[in-house]
Amino acid sequence: MFPFLRKRIVSSAIPLVFVVLGVFFLARLTGNPVDLYLPLSATPEQRAEFSADQGFDLSIPAQLWNYLVDAAHLDFGTSLRTGESAGGMVLDAFPVTLQLAGVTMLLAVTGAVLVGSLAAYRPNSLVDRVASLLSMTAASIPDFWFAIMGVLVFGVGLGLLPTSGTLGGPEIWILPVATLLIRPFGVLVQVVRGSMVTALSAPYVKIARSKGAAPRRVIFGHALRNAVTPVLTVAGDLTVGLVNGAVIVETIFGWPGIGKLMIDSILQRDFAVLQAAVLLTAVTIFALNILVDVCHALTDPRVRQAVPA
Amino acid sequence: MTALLLAGTALLSGGCAVANSAGGDAGSTDGRTLRVVLTQEPPTLEPCEASLTSTGVVVRSNITEPLVERDPVSGDLDPLLATGWKQTTPRTWTFDTRGGVTFQNGEPFTAEDAAFSIERAVNSDLACNVEGYVFGDDDLKVKTSGDNRLTVTTAEPDPILPLRLSFVEIVPRTTDTKAKVRIPIGTGPYAVRDWQPGAAISLNRYDDYWGKAPDFPRARYVWRSDASVRAAMIDKGEAEIAVALDPMEAEKDTTVAYPNNETTALRLDGREAPLDDRRVRRAIDMAVDRDGIIDALLGGLAEPAAQLVPPGVVGHNERIKPTRQDVTGARALVREAKADGVPTGRTITLVARNGMFSGVSETAEALQYQMQRIGLNVKVRMADTATHLQYQLRPLPENVGPIALLMMHGNQAGDTAFTTSQYLLSEGPQSTFGSKDLDRRVAEAGALSGDKRQKAFADLLARQNRTVVQYTHIAHMNGLLGLSRSIRYEPNSATGDELRLSEVGQATAARR
Repeated sequence: MFPFLRKRIVSSAIPLVFVVLGVFFLARLTGNPVDLYLPLSATPEQRAEFSADQGFDLSIPAQLWNYLVDAAHLDFGTSLRTGESAGGMVLDAFPVTLQLAGVTMLLAVTGAVLVGSLAAYRPNSLVDRVASLLSMTAASIPDFWFAIMGVLVFGVGLGLLPTSGTLGGPEIWILPVATLLIRPFGVLVQVVRGSMVTALSAPYVKIARSKGAAPRRVIFGHALRNAVTPVLTVAGDLTVGLVNGAVIVETIFGWPGIGKLMIDSILQRDFAVLQAAVLLTAVTIFALNILVDVCHALTDPRVRQAVPA
Repeated sequence: MTALLLAGTALLSGGCAVANSAGGDAGSTDGRTLRVVLTQEPPTLEPCEASLTSTGVVVRSNITEPLVERDPVSGDLDPLLATGWKQTTPRTWTFDTRGGVTFQNGEPFTAEDAAFSIERAVNSDLACNVEGYVFGDDDLKVKTSGDNRLTVTTAEPDPILPLRLSFVEIVPRTTDTKAKVRIPIGTGPYAVRDWQPGAAISLNRYDDYWGKAPDFPRARYVWRSDASVRAAMIDKGEAEIAVALDPMEAEKDTTVAYPNNETTALRLDGREAPLDDRRVRRAIDMAVDRDGIIDALLGGLAEPAAQLVPPGVVGHNERIKPTRQDVTGARALVREAKADGVPTGRTITLVARNGMFSGVSETAEALQYQMQRIGLNVKVRMADTATHLQYQLRPLPENVGPIALLMMHGNQAGDTAFTTSQYLLSEGPQSTFGSKDLDRRVAEAGALSGDKRQKAFADLLARQNRTVVQYTHIAHMNGLLGLSRSIRYEPNSATGDELRLSEVGQATAARR
């Protein structure tokens, strides 16, 4: 197990370094943000002072060195836009996105396993056809359209849910999570179904059925365990997408998450916040990938054995 | 499966904890809290940045106040923290400050505080935005005598100094002079109670306010960047005021349109061929179908424009009429220029900014089509704010070819001098070229006052259209405000930049 983990950590860390360096350089290609933050009549001296205060007057390698040294001390600098600690702003925003992503994936995986397994148990049955139709529809609906329609129908029309915001009980989660949920749910139902159809036709399942095992035991006790690997892979990718920022949901529903923060930082050339946000999300995605790999290895011994010590 | 459910319960309970701790949202109706939904979170509430729309709409006349304020309807200057003012010499103005006023920290307001605020906003190294937009490069000399007398001296005679000072928000002299503050203290009718980053800003009524107490004891700002959600919050009763709604909401009885002093125009870079030829610039002006753009793309919520300042601004010229579309005449001008060797086939880049107004990308495409119809070659580039600023402000980008910049200018100060100094001077911060004659007239008009000032600025706006033709004016814009039926409020041309909460009352009968 440990050689496997070591290899996966090394191979996942390389893209992490490229992402962090890439964002650093690409952000600076967009120009000096002095025009956005100083008044039109700012004197050359004021512009120079602003650049010096923010370290923009240094060479790019020197800026990179300072960034890496400061980041090693968990000092990500100060936001140009708000004057607050960039690290603090990112740490405030990230839990919001993590919770949205966590709740969404939990519901998506649970629902997809149930619906996908039922559909696969009797292929081409009415249940299978309805599940396939609904899952394909769900996977195809644009999330911004679904979000706006949700606000208009359930918020304004029926008056059942708040339109947006973060204050209140469980009801405030329904529209944002439903918007985030719909696509992963649709994709995962199809993956679970396909994977389960293969597993349910395997000889060991036929033997279990012939021995009179109950359908629930056949599905969840025998077939699902062997069908879970592709589901884990796809669920991992979908979770990475959500952790990267549920921008549409955060924008429409006013949730102050990491995706909205990153977009605002890009538009405002707020380099310190952008770099801190990208570093944190990259590290989180790195950890998520390792977690998914570990789950693979735990559920499928062939994965562990494929890695030489 | 059990593990999954346990994890889910933990996530949901944790999630609810975060949601509740975010705590500041539009909240529920209690009749005592005025809930306002903005387009974005203010980056700061620093008073010397109040000329930024996103900051000023919360701060100005709500948390802090200036010495004088401009009545957005009449254009007159009204006393606020100054009770009177007069020009004692061509370069000197004297202000009598109001007694019996206290800041929200309990300290009394005196002329010393006014002097400190001017020094801090205009003369310091803080690089405040109000300094750039409202005052020139010269510092102001400020002096006090006694608790209630303030003297301000300018480098050159300035007949509109009181108007300029209406942009300086007064803060107590204990305010930081080395760094900008995030949460201010002022003399206004509301004080900041709480700012929950990303969620809401809450204000409490200041009980010792010197003026009339506002109707609502509390106010709360939230922000949603999607206009349809802001409108939905009004419909659902989650907010009393929603700013910047889309024209498609205009038919609702919960929306009110108001002129917001913003003017859209195409700025033509006269340094680059073919835009360096006046016939080509004039042809573009003639090619534009202003009525069509306004009706089809701006929801009818605008008026065709012929100048950069709308009615109500000192210097607006009522005699200039918007250019009527004349495609045939425009084509003839382009052909004539081409025959004289002007490279009319050179690609002109039409640069516009995403989100500048509702329908901006469609407007850019319509302008592209209308310019191509007369024989020009145009491509559209939609840019974000930072990139658009690079095209808008000097130093202008080099080697980018001829640029037609779709821009929007808001003259909230109410005097054309604030427009001409930026957009019409040859070397103006937001101008690409001009003429010595126009520069001289701008300087002369700026030194005048009263009717002479009005006439001088009106004449030079007309002259710009005749001799320089740097701008193809498109429309004087309107804003659209969402208002709950439970309140009464009359928006005016300043509402977009200065939404005075003390003017909002509980509805007792029909609102309008």
